[in-house]
Amino acid sequence: MSKLSGIDIIGIESGSMSNISPQENIILRMDEKNPISDRFPYLIVTDNIRSLDSKTDLFLIDPFLGKDALKRKAKRGLGIEISISPVRKLDANLIARWLKELKSIYIFCQSNDCQFILSSGATSTNEMISARSFESILTVAGINPESYWKKMSDWLYTKTKARWQNVKS
Amino acid sequence: MLNHREKRRYVAIMYDASETFRPFQLYEKIGIRFKELFGIFQMQSAMLKLYDSELGNIMIVRCKLKYLDCFLVSLVLSEPPLTVISISGTLKKLRKNVSKMDFRNIKNIRS
Repeated sequence: MSKLSGIDIIGIESGSMSNISPQENIILRMDEKNPISDRFPYLIVTDNIRSLDSKTDLFLIDPFLGKDALKRKAKRGLGIEISISPVRKLDANLIARWLKELKSIYIFCQSNDCQFILSSGATSTNEMISARSFESILTVAGINPESYWKKMSDWLYTKTKARWQNVKS
Repeated sequence: MLNHREKRRYVAIMYDASETFRPFQLYEKIGIRFKELFGIFQMQSAMLKLYDSELGNIMIVRCKLKYLDCFLVSLVLSEPPLTVISISGTLKKLRKNVSKMDFRNIKNIRS
């Protein structure tokens, strides 16, 4: 499915991966390090600002909540993720506001050396979003898609470098 | 004077076959979202048109290249979720691309 969407690597919740062998195009998303993380590349993800610590790789943010708390806790290299799936249910006014907040979080990430990440938030294949569609959302929000993909690839590479070696050995 | 024809793109969209919506209803929903987000003028200018893919739970929509970003944003932000699986400049080429995909596998994928 990732090939159909034009995406090289996809992130999957660790709970759904118990019977699948490690593959190079999958990164596990988990709350905390667990035994399965020895076999897979992984990212520690949280959506709770209180549990955000130095081990956290990715913070899932609600763009409609203020960034004040995040300003105090965001460390260099932290990934800040915005999910698209909840936006589908919003009306047009809120979607426009969401797009505005998307840009402001992107600017926040740039000024704080954090990695901006736009994700589908998909829970099934039907909810997955193609790479070209991601690029359209970024373009409409005023973000350069080329620089977005490049920065995200570099960030993923540095985050998972040691872990990839572990998986391959 | 040259007879200039604006470029178009044909978009293959996969939808959930288990949902109750039919392709023309989904097409209407995308149109409504397009109108809400970018306005009726842009929507009319995009010259959207629905085609039958003749392949299960896939529909094809034509859009002017200039408005492709607006169309894809409207599509992604529509409910129920829809996934773009291929984009092409001609209908013939798009149908060929889609038929090349192992369609039974697309339908049976479960994450």
